[in-house]
Amino acid sequence: MERKSEVRRNDLFVERTATNIWQEVASPDNPYLTESARCHGYELMELVKKRSFVDVFYLMFRGELPDANEAVLLEQLMIGLINPGPRHPAARAAMNAGVGSSSVEHILPIALTIYGGEHLGAAEVVSAMKFLRKHRNQDPLLLVHKLFEESVPPSEGDWHIVPGFGSRFGGVDGVARKIADHLNGLPGNHETLTWGCRFAAALNGHSQGWLAPAMAAAVFTDLGFSPRAGAGLFQLLGAPGLLAHGVELASKPITAMPFLKDENYVITYE
Amino acid sequence: MSSHMSSSPLQFWDKHRGTIRSKKGGWVVGKGVFNHGYSMMKDLVGKVSYMQVVILNATGRLPQRHIADWCEAIHICLSWPDPRIWCNQIGALGGTARTSVVAATTAGILAADAKSYGMKTLLGGVRFIQEAMFDHKNGVSVDEIVKKECAKHRGKPHIMGYARPVAKGDERVVAMKRVQKEWGLPDGDHLQLAYQIEKVLLRDFDESMNINGYMSAFLSDQGYTAEEVYRIFAVLVTSGVTACYIDTRDRPPEAFLPLRCDDIEYTGKPARAVP
Repeated sequence: MERKSEVRRNDLFVERTATNIWQEVASPDNPYLTESARCHGYELMELVKKRSFVDVFYLMFRGELPDANEAVLLEQLMIGLINPGPRHPAARAAMNAGVGSSSVEHILPIALTIYGGEHLGAAEVVSAMKFLRKHRNQDPLLLVHKLFEESVPPSEGDWHIVPGFGSRFGGVDGVARKIADHLNGLPGNHETLTWGCRFAAALNGHSQGWLAPAMAAAVFTDLGFSPRAGAGLFQLLGAPGLLAHGVELASKPITAMPFLKDENYVITYE
Repeated sequence: MSSHMSSSPLQFWDKHRGTIRSKKGGWVVGKGVFNHGYSMMKDLVGKVSYMQVVILNATGRLPQRHIADWCEAIHICLSWPDPRIWCNQIGALGGTARTSVVAATTAGILAADAKSYGMKTLLGGVRFIQEAMFDHKNGVSVDEIVKKECAKHRGKPHIMGYARPVAKGDERVVAMKRVQKEWGLPDGDHLQLAYQIEKVLLRDFDESMNINGYMSAFLSDQGYTAEEVYRIFAVLVTSGVTACYIDTRDRPPEAFLPLRCDDIEYTGKPARAVP
């Protein structure tokens, strides 16, 4: 059978891309220049003068300004997640880029790319948000019991029994637990976070508990952010610390980070 | 209206609005894919090497096969699976953090856009040898070229294309010289000058040419500019980064060089109360 010759499909493409988020009002003298901008209807300069960064951050993704409780919850989560710490692979990637004199404008993209992983990274946040949405109406104790009955642990390394919850270096991540417990004590309605605290407590006997991705996922869910936004939000919130670690090393010589000696570098072909 | 605008201030923008004008090529549905005047399916696929097409896309000129093969050999020299190398370590960290292979490899490539190693150093390497050649042809001696360059760095031999981090000497230059000889590729003017500069540096500082210096001189002899060389080798480190990713991706997460808390030394301010 002879192949058909190539023809273009008649897909109906829109003439203009649409956005609900941002409106740029053109200058009367130049249609390419923005005279004023509005975010979900609010004039940018008015937001600049009257609202906090957290308020406008929330507005950008949710379409409405947050109430006082939502703003406090988001701001305190942002502080809690501001730095995954210098031992997180993403921070180490930033440091490698810094000490290796990678172009400074690449430091953050490099770190955020590594912060996108399924292990303690943005991809795990998305999975955790889906898990929380699906299971937050179940009894956490019964769910933990069922999960451990049905699941097989990995032969070595950490075990995340479900996305965002698990062990860290064989134990419970105390920082994630403290932040989650604190946020859960804030005023407001955050049922996913409350459920997550009960689920994490039930995991503690198995040396598992909250990890940063689920803690973020629970708050994002309660604040009404979509899982599609969750990954990038997690990356944005960790960006300050990642960048700071990379920049700190960028002014130092290449000897400012360890370079393993040959006797500590073993080549094994399996 | 701004005073610096011409009588038709929007003409330029309107010309480009809603239209792509490619100087490179494109897909004409039903007729074929065109690349710098070549039909990719009729003229290129199965007839030239992948590296020839990479160079065509980077420079707009289809090189001879032996030049593309030489560039491919360079890729082998500059991309090895050792995660102690900074860009490779980022690939390994991507594996241990469970990013996709594409994300980790891309992050590693981005890291090698660096001033101390990797692709960006090629810009300085090619510019140096081409400027040195210009000076030399105008009567500047090799000793003076070295002296002038070292003077920019308080007398230290920080010349792009010579010396390297971590080790002295460069086995990759030895390998490529062998390849060049086996393939019958001659030393051009730039490469000959590069070797003369190396002699001075060996004599005065015990430092030799690195692979950047060799590449920069050889490719200058082929007529490429610094920017063209940078573009040809944009993803130079890719396969070594991928290898390091795979090595850690196939082990448990965070099993790559795990750090205890005190493996990071804190040198900041002591603990204090928030006011």
